[in-house]
Amino acid sequence: MVRFFRYLWENFKEYIILIILILLSLGALSLNQQREIKKVRAVAFGSFAFVTSFISDLVNISSLKNENERLREINAELMLQVNKLRQYGIENQELRSLLNLKDTTKYPIHPASVVSRSLSRSQGTITINVGRNDSIKPGMPVFDGQGLIGIIYSTSEDFSLARTLFNTDLKLTVKNERSRVNGIMKWNGENLVIVDVPKTYDIQEGDRVVTSELSSIVNVPIPIGVVIGISKVEVGIFNEVQIKPFSDINGTENVFVLKVVESKQKNDLELNFFNRK
Amino acid sequence: MKFNYFIPVLVFFPVLILQTTIIPLIAIQGIIPDLILILLVYFTINNGQIFGTVQGFVYGLLFDLITGSLLGSAMLAKTLSGFVAGYFSNENKRDFYLRSYMFSVIVLICAVIDSMIFSFLSSADLTTNIFSLFFENGIVSGIYTSVISLLILVFFILRRRF
Repeated sequence: MVRFFRYLWENFKEYIILIILILLSLGALSLNQQREIKKVRAVAFGSFAFVTSFISDLVNISSLKNENERLREINAELMLQVNKLRQYGIENQELRSLLNLKDTTKYPIHPASVVSRSLSRSQGTITINVGRNDSIKPGMPVFDGQGLIGIIYSTSEDFSLARTLFNTDLKLTVKNERSRVNGIMKWNGENLVIVDVPKTYDIQEGDRVVTSELSSIVNVPIPIGVVIGISKVEVGIFNEVQIKPFSDINGTENVFVLKVVESKQKNDLELNFFNRK
Repeated sequence: MKFNYFIPVLVFFPVLILQTTIIPLIAIQGIIPDLILILLVYFTINNGQIFGTVQGFVYGLLFDLITGSLLGSAMLAKTLSGFVAGYFSNENKRDFYLRSYMFSVIVLICAVIDSMIFSFLSSADLTTNIFSLFFENGIVSGIYTSVISLLILVFFILRRRF
């Protein structure tokens, strides 16, 4: 018996090692949601991000001049828009007070910089330079001036890892801003799509898509993108709606984290998977 | 224990820093070259198939932990890539494989395998066209990695001459 195993080892050790390592890798695939793994991951990317933040700062300095010019331009445009919105705001406040509605439009945000990114067609993640010390928690949305970038997935003391919209594991409830139709949006490896949309729903190309208040992850309306196509599935009753994100998700450098104040009452009612033990 | 066995792990970290900070700047349509795979192929050709298989596993594990991708996806992809690269670890042809266009061909083969397995595991979705997924994620990404490996090769050959 021993001689047989020795024969196997001596003649096929490359394959034996390969099979063992493949089995270990497949085993690891099922451990992703374990708390211990999340802790190890937080330590690993936290330590690594500490180093990459220096390099990232150096890289970003070179692009600061161009960005400053672009920001000045955007600033001027925004100033004009703010004036307009201020007028609407006053009108809105007056109308709300007439109807006795609560105002829920103030959200705390925290600025951050992207220190490293893992670009892949299916597992997009970014590391940002704010963490638990800044009261950042998993589940908080990350966005830039244009729209939603992703969701915080894991945090260390000073850094956080966020899944971008280009990550197949991120699924969000979104809403058509015009027709108020809700749907589930995900990245399918090629496109950002709203899946299983009944053909009777009113969705048109050019419609703006925002996060839905029905979402248990992001229940604040943050712009996501614009509808660029509706694939007519010949068989069945559902369509697939393609979305083009507003943000340059793979290129963005400066972002904000929306520190959504969790409503315990609401979380107790809803199934929020980020809080699930 | 040979010190040589630790060199690939030591080199891994600076290369991963490059991979996550500088390399995204040269992304084309979200596709980036994989420097870690180039490193894996280089060390595997130098040290043999078993070494490459284990090294691929370790690289994949570290990559998954640090970048937040699905734990096990890069582990499996890089283990198999290291194993395949090991077939080119022939002592008599080692110099030819490392110092000629063949290096880029080996990188291309391994990068295609690596990208296909990684994308398959991390985006298994029956509604997606699997062939276009494999083409975009596997072949295009593999070609880009291979081109970069060719540039690195040319750089080192020229540096030796002058």
